[in-house]
Amino acid sequence: MNSKKNTGTFYLNPYLGGVFLGLVLMMTFYFTGRGLGASGAAKSTVVAAVNAVSHEHAEKSHYYGKFVTDDQHPMNTWLVFEVVGVLAGAFLSGLFFNRLKLKVEHSPKITSRRRLIFAVSGGILFGIGSQLAKGCTSGAALSGMAVLSLAGFITMMAIFGTAFIFAWVFKKNWI
Amino acid sequence: MDRRYTILAILLIIAASGLLFLPDRSKPKEINPQELLAAIDDPARFISTDQVTERIIGADPALQLIDVRSPEEFRKFAMQGAINIPIDSLLIPQFKDVLTQAGKDKVFYSSSDLAADEAWQICRRTSVPRIYVMKGGLNEWFNTIMKCSEPNATAPSQDIDLYHFRLAARQYFTGGSQLNSGQREGNSGASDKKAEEVKVVKKETKTGGGC
Amino acid sequence: MVGPLIPMGVIPQAWDNVFAVLLGMGFGFTLEASGFSSSRKIIGTFFGYDFVVLKVFFTAAITAMLGLLYMSYTGLVEFSMLYIQPTYVTSAIVGGIVMGIGFSMGGYCPGTSFCAVAIGKLDALVFTIGMLVGILIFSESFPVFEKMYNSSFLGPKLVTDSLGISKGLFAFLLVFAAVGMFWGATWVEHKVKKVEY
Repeated sequence: MNSKKNTGTFYLNPYLGGVFLGLVLMMTFYFTGRGLGASGAAKSTVVAAVNAVSHEHAEKSHYYGKFVTDDQHPMNTWLVFEVVGVLAGAFLSGLFFNRLKLKVEHSPKITSRRRLIFAVSGGILFGIGSQLAKGCTSGAALSGMAVLSLAGFITMMAIFGTAFIFAWVFKKNWI
Repeated sequence: MDRRYTILAILLIIAASGLLFLPDRSKPKEINPQELLAAIDDPARFISTDQVTERIIGADPALQLIDVRSPEEFRKFAMQGAINIPIDSLLIPQFKDVLTQAGKDKVFYSSSDLAADEAWQICRRTSVPRIYVMKGGLNEWFNTIMKCSEPNATAPSQDIDLYHFRLAARQYFTGGSQLNSGQREGNSGASDKKAEEVKVVKKETKTGGGC
Repeated sequence: MVGPLIPMGVIPQAWDNVFAVLLGMGFGFTLEASGFSSSRKIIGTFFGYDFVVLKVFFTAAITAMLGLLYMSYTGLVEFSMLYIQPTYVTSAIVGGIVMGIGFSMGGYCPGTSFCAVAIGKLDALVFTIGMLVGILIFSESFPVFEKMYNSSFLGPKLVTDSLGISKGLFAFLLVFAAVGMFWGATWVEHKVKKVEY
């Protein structure tokens, strides 16, 4: 196992990882009453950036207007702190299992450039979709399923169903 | 390897099937129906408009008026010192502090006393202490206090005293200008003494945006 | 100690952000350690060579769900105080479809891309930047989406309410389905040619 660890290919048993993740999620609900999330922090970042460029524009906009208040900085939200934790936790895990490395991961059949173009377009779509569905795989689907929310199940099925179909469309990018 | 997973899967299913035999949720504490019925029959929950008025004027610190009408109606007119908890929001956690504050008599009122009585019953069932209903509601309050009419000269002296009290109260609510204006019947404009907007310390229970 | 502790006022509000960082670290560590920082590992679920996403995701969901239901039964947690995301049927489906396409192109979802950024994956960094751009595009063109964004609102609805079954029965069925899926996934994994990544 030690040699595996050093090559950076050691991963937790998926079921064990799942139980850990489930316990973290349960504790999150127990302590704070809400689930885990990720895209909300990205939204806060965008709101903060727009707010810094033009406060007036942010306040007038129907969408940013919901998240801009006078008494609080837009970055001062729970999810931003949580994502700081996510980055730190993932870094520690990468350090621990020897996976810290700057690289572009892609299938040997495609170039880095193609991978990056697809990554950025995927990111744009995910950004739009997560705002529309009011949550991403972690916030809406995972946390939603844990509290039996209808939205969580709908979002989960829509994401994985579509991704399953489209993964075959983009098969060449992956295997 | 496979055997271990099979055992784990069986354990998981056993854990899940446990939920099948448990009730959905432990029920919130409720008083039993007999007690509730007895309490509903008991007229002691009603406070007359005169009593309420007296306590408002006396600036009774133990009085907490609760307006159960809609926020729009509340904004148009509300009694002095009242806070607005619309009847459909009574059980929202953020109002729990207001409803359960110790040492205060919570007096519900609405336009008549129907909605207020309903609010009283809801709160009684969840065992909120020291709650009352203003008899007759705002309409009665207007009729008795704001439009009080002079009794016959032959009326018993209690009635005359009551009339004087109501007259004084009316002047209190409409501002002291009409000290000697006698019994002008006209509704001298509902006093728009600013009722305190409800200021509950907002506990952040719900988060926006989700993910 | 009836939870949720912070909304119930057992723990002061000021601790909220401290818990955010700590719980986030747990989240990030577990995701990374389970292999969610590799897009090719994640996407393996859809081609059948690595079902780690399916296994971790569903194990986590059912663990948390069972835990919360038992806690709610024993009175440790007040279920009605938990944040239930309100359901907007149309936007959840359309948003989910858009995210699904993005998922199959980018290979990450927001949470996993943050993890991958933390260990130095440049494709994840690009994905994250794309996500910010996507949110900016959405926000700037919000009037176009506004109608769909607010349509078919059902409120914070539970799946058990719309199906009309008890929470316990639903949890049992879901666990049963998940175990079936794990078994199927393992079977497929043995059949499918391994992909080196």
